[in-house]
Amino acid sequence: MAFAPVGPEASFFEVLDQHRASLLAALRRGGGEPADGGTRLASSSEVLASIESVIQDVLTSLARNKAPVFTIDNRSSWENIKFEDSVGLQMVPHCTRRKIKSDSPKSVKNFALILKILSIIYKLVQSNTHATKRDIYYTDSQLFGNQTVVDNIINDISCMLKVPRMSLHISSTSKGLIAGNLRYIEEDGTKVHCTCGTTAVAVPSNIQGIRNIITDAKFLLIVEKDATFQRLLDDNFCNRMSPCIMVTGKGVPDLNTRLLVKKLWDTFHIPVFTLVDADPHGIEIMCIYKYGSMAMSFEAHNLTVPAIRWLGLLPSDIKRLNIPRDTLIPLTKRDQMKLDSVLKRPYVTCQPFWRKEMEIMADSKMKAEIQALTFLSSDYLSRVYLPNKLKFGGWI
Amino acid sequence: MEGTAVAVCEILKYLIIHWKCETGVSNGALLEGQLVISMEALNSNHQENTLHCVTTIASAGSTYGGLVLKKFIKEIQSILPGFSAKLNWTSEEASSSQDISGVTPFQMIFEVDEKPRTLMTDSLVIKNFLRRIIMVHPKIRFNFSVKVNGILSLEIFGTKNEPTLNLSNGIALVINYQHYVSRPKFGAAQLLCSRIHPVLGHPVMLFIPDDVAGMGSLGELILTPAAALCPCPKVFSNQLNRVSSVSIFLYGPSGLPLILPSQKQPTTTVFEDTSFFIDWKKYHLCLVPNMDLSLDRDLVLPDVSYQVESSEGDQSQNMDSQGQTLLLFLFVDFHSGFPVQRTELWRAHTLLTVHLSAILTESHSVVQDSIQVTVDQALEQYHQDAKDHQKLQASLSVAVNSIMSIVTGSTSSSFRKICFQALQAADTQEFGTKLHKSFYEITQHRFLPHCSCEVNQQLLPEKNAEQSTEDAHENSSPELLTGPGLPSFDPDRLDERNLRWEG
Repeated sequence: MAFAPVGPEASFFEVLDQHRASLLAALRRGGGEPADGGTRLASSSEVLASIESVIQDVLTSLARNKAPVFTIDNRSSWENIKFEDSVGLQMVPHCTRRKIKSDSPKSVKNFALILKILSIIYKLVQSNTHATKRDIYYTDSQLFGNQTVVDNIINDISCMLKVPRMSLHISSTSKGLIAGNLRYIEEDGTKVHCTCGTTAVAVPSNIQGIRNIITDAKFLLIVEKDATFQRLLDDNFCNRMSPCIMVTGKGVPDLNTRLLVKKLWDTFHIPVFTLVDADPHGIEIMCIYKYGSMAMSFEAHNLTVPAIRWLGLLPSDIKRLNIPRDTLIPLTKRDQMKLDSVLKRPYVTCQPFWRKEMEIMADSKMKAEIQALTFLSSDYLSRVYLPNKLKFGGWI
Repeated sequence: MEGTAVAVCEILKYLIIHWKCETGVSNGALLEGQLVISMEALNSNHQENTLHCVTTIASAGSTYGGLVLKKFIKEIQSILPGFSAKLNWTSEEASSSQDISGVTPFQMIFEVDEKPRTLMTDSLVIKNFLRRIIMVHPKIRFNFSVKVNGILSLEIFGTKNEPTLNLSNGIALVINYQHYVSRPKFGAAQLLCSRIHPVLGHPVMLFIPDDVAGMGSLGELILTPAAALCPCPKVFSNQLNRVSSVSIFLYGPSGLPLILPSQKQPTTTVFEDTSFFIDWKKYHLCLVPNMDLSLDRDLVLPDVSYQVESSEGDQSQNMDSQGQTLLLFLFVDFHSGFPVQRTELWRAHTLLTVHLSAILTESHSVVQDSIQVTVDQALEQYHQDAKDHQKLQASLSVAVNSIMSIVTGSTSSSFRKICFQALQAADTQEFGTKLHKSFYEITQHRFLPHCSCEVNQQLLPEKNAEQSTEDAHENSSPELLTGPGLPSFDPDRLDERNLRWEG
């Protein structure tokens, strides 16, 4: 074994092992996944050729005395999104598109910025270097105006070229943390050994480049909040539940954190669970990991892990554990709107248990943070709640 | 200035005032009619290098009657005290029973001796005056001919059927841009709007200085400004998005020009300070008076002209491109509580002609406010267009540089070859130039905001040239007058001159 056994006895993981077996069986029934997880990354030459093709189209239009136009899928429209249980949210094959014209006052700047970022990407790919979205913004912050403009254009280019962002040599700044039974080597040769101690390792910025990943974790726990993650580290959760891996995206996850979770699932097929607050925001974050977001639906195959299960905090746990009412928080108007929005999403229909939990929350009009469990005891979360959930299959 | 030009202009002014009073100034109807002015000059038998010039002013077709001829002659003589020529009236008097539609044509003749150069200048002054009148009296037509030792030159001045903007008190401003600036140096394809779009300002009452006698009892002088960019900034080429000059036109009661070109001092001294009425700094414009106003051009000559000085910031612009002219019209009208009499109008006109600077200075504050607001509104679109143009230029520059970066940085020779071939460029430099040009040409028409102006592609209808030719009186003699060149009869030039007759 790669790691010294310091966690519970093997029988603790029986249910987990059964769960994993069922997941693998489901995968086999579904045709399985290729070793790379079903994603196809574009090579550098393919990316360069795609960009050159775009430039040629622009020049052809100019030669014909026509204003060049970029046609881009409407990523921000629900009518262009479909749900597939095995993938999550993804774009429909023939979706509505929008035109970015070079001869329209409203879009000429956008047209120019797309070309600008294409030229930056071209250079990055040619030189086999990487840059973050923030780096790109700072190449000419006055021109771009704000980071959101850059982010949207990069996503538009990824969608337009049908190339995942990582192939464009644009990395997102990682904000996530990892801890637990995991080792790998980064692209530059750095060996990373995530520990089970009180410190965590930052999610690498180049997930595509990591190799020699080694783990014997029985499960991967995605923790919504950094505070909860740190608490679990302090409580030595990784050691006591070893072998396991913990990840946090510190709220809404960045792309690299999602890619890492995806990579660990695709490589090892270890059960993935989420630990989120019992509130609409936490549920939405969980859905992003599991099914993806509308904005990134064009890259769903690279990012989603439909096998994720909701471990806690479930709204039904609140009543079951007699969590004091004064530790609960009333749903705000925004919470209500978000909850209604999530309930209407296509993936909820195939998750009846999730729907039921959300309905419990809607009926009670109350929400609870994971920290509410500390009212039962300070280490209730790491010593009682999570171990029981994991041992007895308390996930949905 | 003594001479034929002043006499003709004053007579015409008096005629129009008389005309206007007969029609009734309150009904706002435009004056309609035709006048013929001819100058026939022959070498003097008594003096060397001198022409004996006979000038005739006559009505043609319908005009409003009621002109008491002998009284008219007397009045004209009184307003031209220094005029030494003898005035003759050779037509019948209008009868008292004649209805308004029936007309007695009249004819007025006077003779002077003039130097050829003076005659030429007089001719140009009169032409400019006629152009100024027809700009606000679109239904009045003038046939003006000059015959020197048998060589005839004829021009017809009229703006009938051209687009106009109705103003108060029986005048309407012609808004065909070609009268004010020469056609931009671009192809016809880029000409999409032939109109100017004046912004009318708030009328203000002028104050009369105490030392200007006799005016207080007559009524009020009301100044109404109007401003427009010329040519229309909305749909012209992006190269015209800068103001390069300002032209000011001064009109008095009855829509009559206040001054003749030679009479500018001291009437326009108040305009020598370019910023006396308008704060140009807010538009980043630095103006200087433009003294170079040639009489000999087919455009309406302004009373005051300013030129924009180029600054350091303009050096990046294409200074060869023709800029826009800001036209500022100052209409001063006379109002009293009663139907205005001819004499009152004339006195008001005379007062303004002599004391305009003093009156405007006395009224500086209100005039400045009114004019500034008017100019602000006229330039508002200019500013917006300038911003949009800057945005476009900046974006196109980014697009071009990005494409150049990819093409020049590519290691694929086939890709580079395809790119160069697409724009038929031989090298990188030519590729960059053609790329920029292509983007510019593609975007400039589509990019400009939609103009609600009536699109007028055919600016100069050719059919009118033929019609005008029939009206031309010829008598071309091969003899040429010795001395400085004078307008001579040229059928080809006749067509060109008459093209402004009908729109």
